[in-house]
Amino acid sequence: MPEHREAPAGYHRYHIPTKPAPDIEKWPSRFKVKVRRTGLAKLLLSEVLHYRGRKDVILSRPCMYGVFSGPVGGFMPREEHCVGCLRCTTEFPEFVRIEHNPERQKLGDSYFTFNYVDQIAYEASSGLVPVRGAGYRGKFGGEGWDGMWTDMSEIVRPTRDGIHGRETISTVVDIGFTPNFLQFDAAGQPTGSLPHYVSVQLPILFDGGDLPGNSPAAHIYARTAAELDTLAVLPFEHAIGLGEYAHAVVPVVRPHDAPRLSQLGFTPRVVEMHGWDDALYTAIAAAFPEAIIALRTGFEDAAALVGYAQRGIKVFHLLADFHGRSPDGRFVLDLIRESHTAFVEAGIREEVTLLGSGGMIAAEHMPKAMICGLDAVAVDTPLLVALQARFNGECAGRTASHFSFPTNLNQAWGVQRLKNLAASWRDQLLEILGAMGLREVRRLRGEMGRAMFMKSLEADAFAGLLGYTEAK
Amino acid sequence: MADITHKTDEQLIVEKHIANLHNGFAHWPRAEEAPPALGDSRWTQDLILATWLMAETGKPPENGLEYKIGASGGGFDVLDFNIPSEDQWLPADTEIDLSIPLNRRDDGAQLKINIPMYGGGMSYGSISEHVMQARARAAQHLGTFTSTGEGGYPPSLVPYKDHIITQVATGMFGVREETIQYAPIVEFKYAQGAKPGLGGHLLGDKATDVVAAMRESVPWVSLFSPFPFHSVYSVEDHRKHVDWIRTTNPRALVSVKVSTPTDVDMVAVGSYFAGAHIVHLDGSYGGTGAAPEIAKKNIAMPIEFAIPKVHKYLVSENVREEVTLMASGGVRTAYDVAKAIALGADGCVMGTAELIAIGCTRCSNCERGRGCPFGLTTTDPLLQQLMPADWGQQRIVNMYNAYAIQLRDLLRKLGLKSIRELRGRRDLLKYVG
Repeated sequence: MPEHREAPAGYHRYHIPTKPAPDIEKWPSRFKVKVRRTGLAKLLLSEVLHYRGRKDVILSRPCMYGVFSGPVGGFMPREEHCVGCLRCTTEFPEFVRIEHNPERQKLGDSYFTFNYVDQIAYEASSGLVPVRGAGYRGKFGGEGWDGMWTDMSEIVRPTRDGIHGRETISTVVDIGFTPNFLQFDAAGQPTGSLPHYVSVQLPILFDGGDLPGNSPAAHIYARTAAELDTLAVLPFEHAIGLGEYAHAVVPVVRPHDAPRLSQLGFTPRVVEMHGWDDALYTAIAAAFPEAIIALRTGFEDAAALVGYAQRGIKVFHLLADFHGRSPDGRFVLDLIRESHTAFVEAGIREEVTLLGSGGMIAAEHMPKAMICGLDAVAVDTPLLVALQARFNGECAGRTASHFSFPTNLNQAWGVQRLKNLAASWRDQLLEILGAMGLREVRRLRGEMGRAMFMKSLEADAFAGLLGYTEAK
Repeated sequence: MADITHKTDEQLIVEKHIANLHNGFAHWPRAEEAPPALGDSRWTQDLILATWLMAETGKPPENGLEYKIGASGGGFDVLDFNIPSEDQWLPADTEIDLSIPLNRRDDGAQLKINIPMYGGGMSYGSISEHVMQARARAAQHLGTFTSTGEGGYPPSLVPYKDHIITQVATGMFGVREETIQYAPIVEFKYAQGAKPGLGGHLLGDKATDVVAAMRESVPWVSLFSPFPFHSVYSVEDHRKHVDWIRTTNPRALVSVKVSTPTDVDMVAVGSYFAGAHIVHLDGSYGGTGAAPEIAKKNIAMPIEFAIPKVHKYLVSENVREEVTLMASGGVRTAYDVAKAIALGADGCVMGTAELIAIGCTRCSNCERGRGCPFGLTTTDPLLQQLMPADWGQQRIVNMYNAYAIQLRDLLRKLGLKSIRELRGRRDLLKYVG
């Protein structure tokens, strides 16, 4: 490299190291393989006679994936290898039957369905972008995220090189305050408010703000966030003792934590205040004068959020429940748009940072949420699934939900799983950004022109057809 | 008992599995219960089994299988035809013309196809050479076309060159002077619906020695085609592409395959003004090869929304009669084809349906390891023998024959003598969502 193009000292290209981190708890296989033994025995007998003992021909079985390659072949199929290709049942419809495993389908809950669980499990175990053949298999559209498509640029685009140029796309986001304008005095010195933010390498934060007190996940979140150069949001009681990850830990402070703020043991870069509280705000500001104070709150009335901004809050961590709903039942996609729009209309959107959690459970939800107005997504339940936590019933409420971790959960494995998940999601984000021709993820925020919504597309396409009414 | 002594083990293994598979393809569409793990919202159990049955018999199913729509809950699945009362139908013996012209301009060959469909690009490497041969022979038999995809032009396809579209994609694999000169139609693939904004993917396991040789690449190394064309920044640059093709093959028609972004209408008109004879819209729900899951569902709009948008814009620009609009990406059935045409397309480009006709179960394991366990999307020497080209050819021909029967029946009931009369007839559609 020519001297003038040398990287500045300390520069390194951001990269997430991935390596396989297979499941530590055996989950039910995706498919049930049922072989009628009498049918198989008859087949074997007839083939022995027909092929006159030519072993390789007789033992040539339809499965390429090893389901029938155990010591006794089809008499004890190895279901965990089944990928559902159905070649065996096509060849032997009389005695081989492949079914979806109902036990597998019980993973997750009604929102975090087993398909999402499967996807997260793959991403966390491999660190790869899920790639499959044969096109799309799901519903046409639907409510929420499924009714939204992102745009792409057909020919004119700055990234130019597609997959080969993705390393030039930045996923850095800033969390904090940036004034709309800088002001200077007569001597050319800046006056008034100055930018105050932290930059993280990913628009993915780890939200463990509602983890119960004894959760083994907190340490894993903190260490992974530190290694990835992002942030882990953790209850104050968890944050105490995680000083070695000080630059990555965001303590969530509740009113009862106020008397013990000094026990934290380190100065966090960002502190989350759980709900607006004048006294608590004053206490946090006094205890951590250098820290950015974020407000952790529900997607409440957008005007109220603007009001908090005028009282000094510049970072908002907005929460829907784990199913992406507000208490009045509205979906997080609409809630994000409302909040973003409120700050735009107040003329201060550039001054604040909007983080969001709840209902964003797949890689594609992240860019969609950012298009709707978030600066970054604070991921919650997908982290639990990556760590193979099981849902105990429906898990919608942030404090009422219960998850069971594997008994042998260990930190090294957990960190790698979360790194893999983050790498996979980041690479998928790059797919979306690359398709749009965007060089940095910050450009995505609020870019509603880069989204298409089913309702409007359907109205454009089908208006005037017999039976079509726009309300549908 | 057949004499097996003179056959190698490999021959016997292939014959055994072919016989079993053919037995299964015939068995399941007639069985009382479908394979429980077969199908999904877009390609339901019934659609797959009905396609297998049509590929076997050449006729629409009569055993109750739903062969017209899937269960996706939107798009083509919530559209139906508003069939008039029987007294308005054309007589049963009316000749119904399914042909469409592919060139509506004054220049180039005046090509037409006998059915309003041709085969979409599937590259050598992503599918087996047997599958390519089957598709090419079927296209010849039917009087239509198939496309090479971007993986090159195997010599075994040359005998069918009058029915083969040469695709020029960003990887430029196999694009040579002779493959342009062979081609009645040259297709520029600017984008594809399965992975809009991304180049083609051929994962390393499928880049065998022969595939790599065809693509002039390194064996067992994944091939991610660039996106977009490095030589095209504008419609004017695209015009240079068209000129380049015309210099090499003045009679070739030029097709422009694009995805469906929000400004797809502008893209289509720009393509026309740059000299395209065919604008091929590839919607986001189709695709046969490997694609990131995130791209399949989330990038660009479904074809059902793109067709009327483009059709209306071409009409408003007063150029609709000078360009052929082909649609693909989630067109699964004869009824989908008819609905696409009623929404404004001239015809459709088919991919997945052809693969299902020759045995695909849509298990989505195309890119994994050796590739397709049914021998379709694979380059494994043993596996690809599971789908003999002559068998595949007949299956594809039969499927299109069954489609033709359905289209003629539908047109007759709609009172139309030609598929060309259906184009843009939104008044014949109804929304049933």
